[in-house]
Amino acid sequence: MHHWPFPWLTTVDVSRDGWRAEALFWYTTLLCVIAFALVAFALVYSSWKYRARPGGKALYTHGTDRKSFAVTGILAAIVFVTIDMNLVRVSQVDVKEYTYNWPTSPDTVRIEVMPQQWAWNIRYAGPDGVFNTPDDVVTLNEMRVPVGRPVMLNLKAKDVIHSFYIPNFRLKQDANPGYVTRTWFQALQPGNFEIACSQMCGWAHYKMKGDLIVQSEADFERWMKEGVGDAKRRFDPADREQLWGWEWVQ
Amino acid sequence: MGDATTSKPAPIRHLHVGPEFHAEQHIHPEPTSFLRKYVFSMDHKVIAKQFLWYGLFFLAVGGAMAMMLRWQIAYPGTPFPVLGQLIWPQSGGVMPPQSYAAFFTMHGTLMIFFAITPILIGAFGNFLIPLMIGARDMAFPTLNLMSFWTNVVAGLCMIVSFFVPMGAAAGGWQSYPTLSTLVGSPGHGQTLWILGIFFTGSASIMGAVNYITTVVRLRAPGMGYFQMPLSVWGIWLTAILNALFVPVLAAGVLLLFLDRVFGSHFFLAGAAITKGGGDPVLYQHLFWIFGHPEVYILILPAWGIVSDLLSFFSRKPAFGYKATALSMSVITLLSMAVYGHHMFVVGMSPLLSQGFMTLTMLISIPSAVFFLNWLGTMWRGSIRFATPMLFSLGVVFVFGLGGLTGLHLGAISSDIYLHDSYFVIGHFHLTMAASVLLGAFAAIYFWFPKMFGKMMNDTLGKWHFWLTIIPITIVFCGMLVVGYGGMQRRLYNYEAYEFLKHLHPINVWMTRAALLLGASQFLFVGNFLSSLISGKKATENPWEVGTLEWTIPSPPPHHNYDEIPIVLHGPHEFNNPAVAGKDWLAQDEPIDDEPVALGAVGS
Amino acid sequence: MSTAVAVTRFPVPEESRRTSFVGMVMALASWTMLFVALFFAYAVLRLRAPAWPPDGLPPLPKALPFLNTLVLLTSSVVLHFGVRPEAEEKPGALRRALLGALALGSLFLALQLAVWVPLWRSGFRIDTGTYGSIFYSLTVFHAVHVLAGLVALAVLLPGAFSGRLVSGRASTVRLSAMFWHFVDAVWVVMFVAVYLV
Repeated sequence: MHHWPFPWLTTVDVSRDGWRAEALFWYTTLLCVIAFALVAFALVYSSWKYRARPGGKALYTHGTDRKSFAVTGILAAIVFVTIDMNLVRVSQVDVKEYTYNWPTSPDTVRIEVMPQQWAWNIRYAGPDGVFNTPDDVVTLNEMRVPVGRPVMLNLKAKDVIHSFYIPNFRLKQDANPGYVTRTWFQALQPGNFEIACSQMCGWAHYKMKGDLIVQSEADFERWMKEGVGDAKRRFDPADREQLWGWEWVQ
Repeated sequence: MGDATTSKPAPIRHLHVGPEFHAEQHIHPEPTSFLRKYVFSMDHKVIAKQFLWYGLFFLAVGGAMAMMLRWQIAYPGTPFPVLGQLIWPQSGGVMPPQSYAAFFTMHGTLMIFFAITPILIGAFGNFLIPLMIGARDMAFPTLNLMSFWTNVVAGLCMIVSFFVPMGAAAGGWQSYPTLSTLVGSPGHGQTLWILGIFFTGSASIMGAVNYITTVVRLRAPGMGYFQMPLSVWGIWLTAILNALFVPVLAAGVLLLFLDRVFGSHFFLAGAAITKGGGDPVLYQHLFWIFGHPEVYILILPAWGIVSDLLSFFSRKPAFGYKATALSMSVITLLSMAVYGHHMFVVGMSPLLSQGFMTLTMLISIPSAVFFLNWLGTMWRGSIRFATPMLFSLGVVFVFGLGGLTGLHLGAISSDIYLHDSYFVIGHFHLTMAASVLLGAFAAIYFWFPKMFGKMMNDTLGKWHFWLTIIPITIVFCGMLVVGYGGMQRRLYNYEAYEFLKHLHPINVWMTRAALLLGASQFLFVGNFLSSLISGKKATENPWEVGTLEWTIPSPPPHHNYDEIPIVLHGPHEFNNPAVAGKDWLAQDEPIDDEPVALGAVGS
Repeated sequence: MSTAVAVTRFPVPEESRRTSFVGMVMALASWTMLFVALFFAYAVLRLRAPAWPPDGLPPLPKALPFLNTLVLLTSSVVLHFGVRPEAEEKPGALRRALLGALALGSLFLALQLAVWVPLWRSGFRIDTGTYGSIFYSLTVFHAVHVLAGLVALAVLLPGAFSGRLVSGRASTVRLSAMFWHFVDAVWVVMFVAVYLV
């Protein structure tokens, strides 16, 4: 577990990769605090030191001599290299190792998510491993995942744009109507967490809540087995609406 | 440009000057009828004042909406004092969620397009460009008149939209489809919003074409681009961005309009569309191709104005003037190529995302340059803390905060957590609301004497400054804090989520600060109105600065300049050793034996 | 130290001609961005589509639009001969050019109708997926500009007939001609992008 300043301010991070956002956030914040402190100090100090006084006279300079150029240029370069290039570097590592590094291991849990105004439709492929078949386990507003296994999502919205947001995993991904977007995460500890919508999706956007239940492997498998039984019993081939899933996009 | 070692400003560029030069700028007789003089005026100074009143009106409307939004966040379910009963009698004065959505949508729309744009670009663009470059009016006065009145039509569309069935647009100020198509917004409010944006966009383009042409063509003899005040630089660059990128927004909302009214399928997709669906994300591309330049459209005039004011009140030439002007130009160019950082979580290609991230970070270089130049301007100055200076320093302060927090959002992996959170709201309010608003106040306090011929009260102005900068910093930094805490934007009642409940005390304090911020604006209103009526009469040059508008009476005559001035110096010649008896030098004021100009100027 | 002052003189009408020219160039640059954005939208939608034209939809006609392209290009050439400075020596050159461009522009609109009407009647409408949306939106939006261009040329006729306007040295003539050439240039791109590729 990582430790970040002000833990009371935010949710517990229970994900394998949430630390990346946190680490970059605090790293950026540290650099920003230093940069801003320097600016604020210069601002306050010059305001005080160079305030107009009787008989005081400002220096006549346009700051266009070589020395001024050099100082400005070097400072700007320092800012760019120490702050910006560093952030890009760290972020590139995150992107490569996590964000777009889709899990391929056979134990990956695959879930299709179709948000609509204002609920989360969730679909598991069932024993056949193929989506949009009668054995699919379908839930509303409840996503269950096992601890320690990578979970990959396919998202596609039904009506308007929504955004799948799980604060405890420091993760957010838009779901658009018309095509599939992807994201993935991995839980490190069991518990009940919230799924939130973070894209304006109509007047009830604020209560578009779902539950993310992280369980032990055994509990998850038991729940899944029950779900598959239920799904087969309930499946109605005449109801086309039921088959809202799509072919998996890896 | 001179430097510390030479005693006089260096030679300026060749003057394109002759008796004929400004013959095209005839002195038109001042109109006498009320309508031609105050309503359908073609005088840039009158149009500037019209834009100022217009912008301040919408600033008040948008600000009042912000108060009500903050009230709902901190005290959900309680009626908003006084106004609540009038607006929502059916719910006992409590804001319903539909109104909340409409209000945050219209708050953003009105503030950006109908408050900030009219005040900084409409009012100060119009007022300052001809005066500061030594022209008698804009290049196209009729176009100027049309620009204002087209804007009024746009404002009427927005106001009317509140009163149609189902109310005003409620899909956020970006109006992303499919929420903004008939799928999510069946009422006429959204259609009126599109028309309003289309009209205000047209008005912006008319203004931009006029501004650009005026700067290119009507600069007084001797006024090279690098003799222009930085305010003109900022407004000019803004005009360029407006001319090139508002059309992209226009294209976006045009297609949205066709989708809503004529049944086309540009942005429609999802269950409602069985075949041949379009792409809702396409709208986001169009929107942000415009939207990112737009944030610079809003801030560039404020940067320019602050760059000038820091020099004026430090009694020192702007440090690295050319570098500041060029940095602003470089940012203008970069702003055209970074829009993708608004879309890191929409599912864009990873390669594109990474490219946009790197380009975004480049903005730090020019930003650092002009920040350093601002500080360099103050260094070893002789700083006078009049109200406009305080507000300019306030801009540097809040823009520092706002600019730096952009870094968190420019990097992909931290943005994935912060995207669409209050952190974003805090960041863009610090940059394009707080900075721009403080810049607008600085400009109003500074040019009020020239506009109206009266001085504003400096003591009240200082109270106004402190009672603005403190709460504005608390509100928007509070947003950064709750944003990191995980709070998404646009929540009617965030306590619907367990994980946000602990943020309640911070939200309450932010609301209190916001209410204080709102209340303290009455100091400004009172000062503005009482100064207008009974302010101390302003002299020609009350601030003792050298830009051209301060060489003519306050307020200036109808035709501005009896004779077109011949510009000999840069805009910030303070404490020039060759000048005796005063510490400023007007741009057209000869020193010693300097030749004025060859050939007679004026006819 | 003295300041170098060089004097460049321009005749008065030339000054104000230049100013209106700069304004028109900026306005057309702005307008260009509008069409660039629309073409960008088209490109994105088309690249996302699995097939183009989408399954079951007819390809667009090519012959008539090609003819129309020639009509519009001819109108530009015709207009150019009435606007160039040499026209001043030939009485009636501007008049003839304006009438020619107006006739060809109207012919263009008539031929556009001949393209739209059968397609619309055959059931290919603006709501026939993105394909229909793009086709009708782009071509109709352009036709609206042609109409505006025709109006801009038509208002010059009285001046041309009275002999007050003789060539593009008058800013009104020059700017209207610039707009007309712009609309034609947009059409060429549109013809290639919408009908050919």
